[in-house]
Amino acid sequence: MAELDEAARKLTIKLVYYGPAMSGKTSNLIALHNLLSPDLKGEIMTLETQNDRTLFFDLLPLGFRTPSDWLVKFKLYTVPGQVAHDATRKAVLSRADGVVFVADSQSSQGVNNAESFQNLEENVRRVGLDFETLPLVVQFNKRDLPNVLTEEEIQARWSAAPWPLMMASALTGMGVKETFASLLESVYAALDPRFSLYETLGVDRHAFIHAVTGEAFANSD
Amino acid sequence: MQIQTRGYDSVLSLQELLSGVVPDKLSAALTGLLGAPARVVSADGAWVMSNAACLPETARRLPLIHDLEAAGFLETTAQDEARIRAVVSILEALMRAGARYFMASEMHLEVVTADYEELQRRHIALAESEARYKALSAHLEERVKEQVNTIESARRQLYQTEKLASVGQLAAGVAHEINNPIGFIRSNLSTAQSYVQKFQLLAEQIKSSSDLALLGAWKNADLDFVLEDFPSLLQESVSGADRVARIVSDLKSFSSVDQAEEEIVDLNDNIRSACNVAASQINSRAELKLSLGELPRLRCKAGHLSQVFLNLLLNAAHAMKQRGEIHIQSGVENGQIVIRFIDTGCGIPPEILARIFDPFFTTNDVGAGTGLGLTVSRDIIVAHGGSIDVSSEPDQGSTFTIHLPIDRRNT
Repeated sequence: MAELDEAARKLTIKLVYYGPAMSGKTSNLIALHNLLSPDLKGEIMTLETQNDRTLFFDLLPLGFRTPSDWLVKFKLYTVPGQVAHDATRKAVLSRADGVVFVADSQSSQGVNNAESFQNLEENVRRVGLDFETLPLVVQFNKRDLPNVLTEEEIQARWSAAPWPLMMASALTGMGVKETFASLLESVYAALDPRFSLYETLGVDRHAFIHAVTGEAFANSD
Repeated sequence: MQIQTRGYDSVLSLQELLSGVVPDKLSAALTGLLGAPARVVSADGAWVMSNAACLPETARRLPLIHDLEAAGFLETTAQDEARIRAVVSILEALMRAGARYFMASEMHLEVVTADYEELQRRHIALAESEARYKALSAHLEERVKEQVNTIESARRQLYQTEKLASVGQLAAGVAHEINNPIGFIRSNLSTAQSYVQKFQLLAEQIKSSSDLALLGAWKNADLDFVLEDFPSLLQESVSGADRVARIVSDLKSFSSVDQAEEEIVDLNDNIRSACNVAASQINSRAELKLSLGELPRLRCKAGHLSQVFLNLLLNAAHAMKQRGEIHIQSGVENGQIVIRFIDTGCGIPPEILARIFDPFFTTNDVGAGTGLGLTVSRDIIVAHGGSIDVSSEPDQGSTFTIHLPIDRRNT
């Protein structure tokens, strides 16, 4: 749940990168840290084990100030993908305002993707969120690898899904920013009715996305 | 376990962010690095590290950024820009480390709590399932015990029934075989008595004759005494034969134990019959005293009850160390037939009194008794809806009391 602090003029939005182990969630955050140039950008805080696997989560803070001097903060979290860390995933997922599901495009990873997605659905319900209305973007990562499902196959398999499907390669940066922007669209749409974002912050959807991604206005539609 | 967590994503104060370092040491280090007085204050000014004194108005004030916002300020009168930037950078690194520690520990607590709650849930579920199985197993044990008791009881009955049946068959066979010869012995004895009377008539004539040789021979043979003694000999033999016939008859009725059908009897008859059968064993050891009150006729397995009476009688006889008394009382009390076997024997020690009805419990030498007599007796009485109790005083004697309901339909 986004927190709107009227007194401090601060809006905090929590976004979670979810997905199976080794699908590239942390890589997404690293790529975003390199690619984005918002007003405010913190360092990535990682809580990993010695072998570079995420232990609890990674955290990337991003933010911007509106002309009316509101601070809009984004906290981008990743979850640990290994099955054993379900309690951690649940804790990270609680109060999330949007989720990027990072799937592994390799053709061998179909089962892992499916299990993780099912786990996401269960945990969303367990932390009291509504899976039907939760802003969600599905990213198929590792497009740069051989032995990946073709985009057509993926589109065919997910044709019934209502969520945006994004192709990405977190290691090269391809599609990472687009995925994030796509999620911001859904998040803005979901938060606007609750917080009257334009009236409160004086920022419309384009400006909102632009401010976080640092893209030129002309680049957003 | 209730652990209050603030949540790993709580907003942290500057004091919390720097809680991992010793304030005085850090203050001293900062002053040393900057070469000028310095102090760290929180964003709202409420907290000052090491309670350092205020600096002059001219001091510089640099934000310490954490999580995109100024969590506090570094105030210093130092002028060296590079050093100041370096110190700010060091402080922010310390704050990040503090935040990292805080988040990791909070997340750890949340995960541990969640895992613990999950474990508790499973433990409760397991405990419930264990309780179900325990109840089941307890019940099972009870059922098995019940079954074992039933089988034990049936086995004892079977053992006793078979024993009685074979004894009964033997007794019936013997009785049948004895009945015929005893019949003609009895009949011949009567005939012999009438023959002796004829000899006595003849004797008068012989004694009144004048044939001296005949009288001498009569005298020599002492036939006066023979003729006088003969009738009483025959009379004794007759009563002896009658007694044999009576014993055979008792034995026969007693041997009907293998007939498990119920019949309607006066139990006093069965008591007398048992006394007759046991007479030879009792007479040498004790005086038998019967105080039999009037009893209603009872529908029962009479043969089985006779066996009980015989058991108690023989036990009483065996309890006699010296000649004593066995007293059998019968009567009706509170609508029940009550029969008491009171002996003046050695009594039963208190420590074994509770066990005397147990199967295979015996104080006899091995082979002398099965240890089933009282057990089967109790089974028989219980099968008739009654009860058997014992009271005993060592060296004074024992009393076995049998209660039998008159109308079993009411029990």
